[in-house]
Amino acid sequence: MTGNRSRRRDRVPGARLSFGRVVVATMVSVLLLGAGNATAARAPWERVEVIQELLNGAEPQRDAIQLDLPAVTQDGSSVAVTVDIESPMTQDDHVERLYLFALGNPSPELLEVRFTPLSGRAGISTRIRLDSSQTVVALARTSDGDWLADVRDVRVTVSGCLSRDDTYASEDLMQTRVRVPPNFERGESAEVRTLIQHPMETGLRTDASDRPIPENIVRSFEAHLDGAPVVTARLHRAIAANPFLLFHVAPERSGELSLSWEEDTGDKAQVTAAVRVD
Amino acid sequence: MKLSKSISRRESLKWIGVAGLSAAFGAYVRPAWAGSANGRVVVVGGGFGGATAAKYLKRLAPSLDVTLIEPQTRYITCPFTNLYLGGVRAFETLWHDYTELREVYGVRVVHQLAEDVDADRRVVKLADGEVLTWDRLILSPGIDLRWDALEGYDESASERAPHAWKPGAQSRLLRQQLEAMEDGGTFILVAPDNPYRCPPGPYERVSMVAHYCKTHKPRSKILLLDSKDAFSKQDLFTEGWKANYGDMIEWVGRSQDGRVLRVDADRLEVETEFGTVHKADVLNVVPPQKAGIIADRAGVSDASGWAPIKARTFESRQVPGVYVIGDATEAAPMPKSGFLANVQAKMTVQAVMADLAGQPAPEPSWANTCYSLITPEWGITVAGVYEVYDDVLREVPGSGGVSPLDASAVFRRQEADFARGWYAGIAQDVWGTRSSS
Ligand SMILES: Cc1cc2nc3c(=O)[nH]c(=O)nc-3n(C[C@H](O)[C@H](O)[C@H](O)COP(=O)(O)OP(=O)(O)OC[C@H]3O[C@@H](n4cnc5c(N)ncnc54)[C@H](O)[C@@H]3O)c2cc1C
Repeated sequence: MTGNRSRRRDRVPGARLSFGRVVVATMVSVLLLGAGNATAARAPWERVEVIQELLNGAEPQRDAIQLDLPAVTQDGSSVAVTVDIESPMTQDDHVERLYLFALGNPSPELLEVRFTPLSGRAGISTRIRLDSSQTVVALARTSDGDWLADVRDVRVTVSGCLSRDDTYASEDLMQTRVRVPPNFERGESAEVRTLIQHPMETGLRTDASDRPIPENIVRSFEAHLDGAPVVTARLHRAIAANPFLLFHVAPERSGELSLSWEEDTGDKAQVTAAVRVD
Repeated sequence: MKLSKSISRRESLKWIGVAGLSAAFGAYVRPAWAGSANGRVVVVGGGFGGATAAKYLKRLAPSLDVTLIEPQTRYITCPFTNLYLGGVRAFETLWHDYTELREVYGVRVVHQLAEDVDADRRVVKLADGEVLTWDRLILSPGIDLRWDALEGYDESASERAPHAWKPGAQSRLLRQQLEAMEDGGTFILVAPDNPYRCPPGPYERVSMVAHYCKTHKPRSKILLLDSKDAFSKQDLFTEGWKANYGDMIEWVGRSQDGRVLRVDADRLEVETEFGTVHKADVLNVVPPQKAGIIADRAGVSDASGWAPIKARTFESRQVPGVYVIGDATEAAPMPKSGFLANVQAKMTVQAVMADLAGQPAPEPSWANTCYSLITPEWGITVAGVYEVYDDVLREVPGSGGVSPLDASAVFRRQEADFARGWYAGIAQDVWGTRSSS
C-alpha cells in the first residue's frame, strides 16, 4: 500500500463511486482546509470531520484510555492494535462505544465497537491496515456522555524483505476460529479471541488486467450471551485480511456465547461456544 | 502490491549481479581529515557491528585510542549455524577471534562484560570493576531474548526447548537433539513476529533441518508455527521446499492459527492463540527479542525494546555521544542482519571520526544482501539499498529485489556459492579470519 492520498483518489474510477469513496473525497478536502479556522487551538486530529462530528464540541479526556500499537512497523498490511479503557463497566457507568480511526488512510474509519456491562472490560485487540506513516486515533464515549481519546503516531516502512501473496484460497472463505476460556469466574471478565478468514478486499486494488477489484469485506460482528449483546462491531475496509477481534465477556452464570459475522454481500457465518462459570 | 512485486522480480537479476560481484568489503575511502580525529572511543560488543567498528576506526584513524569490550575470546557467528545444524558445516568453521584486531590494528581488546554506562560522566563500567572513559561510545550488543514474552518460555525452558538464536551451547544442544530424534519424529520451530534478528533465519533453519532429515530421517515432519502471515522471500522458500523436500515442511501462518502463546518445555508442547496444542520431538522456540541489555543501561533503548537512532549517523536519539549499530537498533526498513551491521559500522565510524574532527558527517548509504540456503546447492537472495530521506531511513525506490522464481539449477547453485563467498569475505573483513569451510 503505497502512494499518496490524492493519487490514490485519482485512480478510483468515477463510474462506481460508492459511499465510502464519497467520504474519502470529503475527508481529504477537510484535512486540507481544516487548518487555521476557529478550532485552530485543537490538535490536528480533532479537526478531522468525522471526529469533529462525533465530539460535537466536547473536550475528550486523555487519561482513562490506552491505545497501543507499534511506533514503527515494517508491514502496514497487518498492524496489531490494542485499546484498553478503564471503566467499572456497570449499568450506570460503562463505556458504550469505541471508534478507531487511521487518519492517513484513503478512508479513516477502521472500527466501531459497542460494549455493554456484560463485556466486563472495555478493551479490544485487532489488526489494521496502514497505508503510510500516520496518526491513529481511539475515541470512546461513556454512558455519561463523556469522551475519551488516545492518539499514536505510527511510522510504516516498506520492507523489501516482505513479499506478500495476494491470492486467497476461496474454500477457506468465512471459516471462523474462536477461543473461549475453559471456565470463568462469576462476574469476572476474560478474553475471547475470534478470527474469520476473509480477504477484506478494499476496492482500491486492481487485478492482473488492471480492472478494479470491487470492495468486499466482512462488515459486522456480534457476540451475544444467551441472547444478550456482549459486543457488536462495525468493520471497515482497513481492518486487516482475516479479521481478528479480541474482546472480553464477564458472565454471571454459565450459558452459550453466540458469535456471528456478516459480509457486505449479506452472507453470514455463525458459531456458538459454551461459557462455563464455576 | 502485485505490481511492485513483479517489478522487484525483474530488478532482482540486476541486483544479485551487483551483490555477487562486489567483494568490495575493504573499499572505504580514508577522508583527508581522518588524521585530525583524536580521542578515545570505546566499542561494546565484538560481533559483526562492533568488531567492524573497532577495526575500521583504527584503520582509518590510527591515532585514535580504541577499546573493544567483548566477554568472549571466541566469537561464533549466527550466519551458517543453520548449516551446522543441517550437518553440512563443522562448528569450528564458525569461530573467530580478536588476534587481528589486537595485533594488526592496535585495538585494545578487553574480554569483559560491560555492566553499566554513565553517559553524563562518559564512562562505561566493566564486570571486573574497571571503569573506562570515552569521548564517543559505540554500542553493538546484538539482541537479548525476551523471557517474559511467551508464557512458559524462560531461560531454563530453553535448556529443553532451545532457541539457538544466540550461537554457542544452544546451537550444539539443538544439533544433539536433532541427531537423537527418531526417524518419523516431529521438529517444531516457533517463529516470532517482526522485528527480530535475521528475518529469513527461521525459514533457512527449517530448510537445513529438512536437508538433514531427508538423508537421515526421511519419515520426519517439520512444522513451522509462525506469528506472521507473511515472511521474507516467502515465495522462494515455498518453491524451494516443495522442489527439494516435498511435503516435509509445513508452514502455519498466524491466520491459520500458527501464533504460539504458551510453551510447555517439559512436555515439548506448544499451545496456539486459538488453543491448538502441538507436540514436538524436538522443539526450537525463537522467542521475541530486544536490544542487548546494556542498551537499557545506557538509556538508548525505548519502550519497544530497541534503540532509536538518528538516520544519518546512528547516534542515539536519546543519549548524545552514544552511537548504536547492528541488531540493537530500531532502523527499519533495514533488516537485522550481519551484513548490515558490518555496513552500518563502517558508516558510523565515518560519522564518529567526523564528529571528533569537527567535520560534517559524510553522506551515508547502506546496502544489504541476505542469502539463505534451501539446500547446500540451492541459494536464494534478497537485496536492498538504503538512504536517508526526510531524516528517516528508507529503501532506495526500485533498489530492492529477490531472486527470480523458476530459476535454473545452475542459477540456484551460483547463489549458494555467493552465500559461501559472502561468509568467507565478511569473516575476513571483520575478524581477519582466513577462510576454511
Ligand atoms: C540462525 C541465524 C542465521 C543468520 N544468518 C545470517 C546471514 O546469513 N547473513 C546475515 O547477514 N546475518 C545473519 N544473521 C543475523 C546476524 O547474526 C546478526 O544480524 C548479527 O550478528 C548482528 O550483529 P551485532 O553486532 O548487532 O550483534 P552480534 O553479532 O550478536 O554481536 C554482539 C556482541 O556483543 C557482545 N555483548 C553483548 N552485550 C555485551 C556487554 N554488555 N558487554 C560486552 N559485550 C557484549 C556479545 O557477546 C556479542 O559478541 C543470522 C542470525 C541467526 C540467528
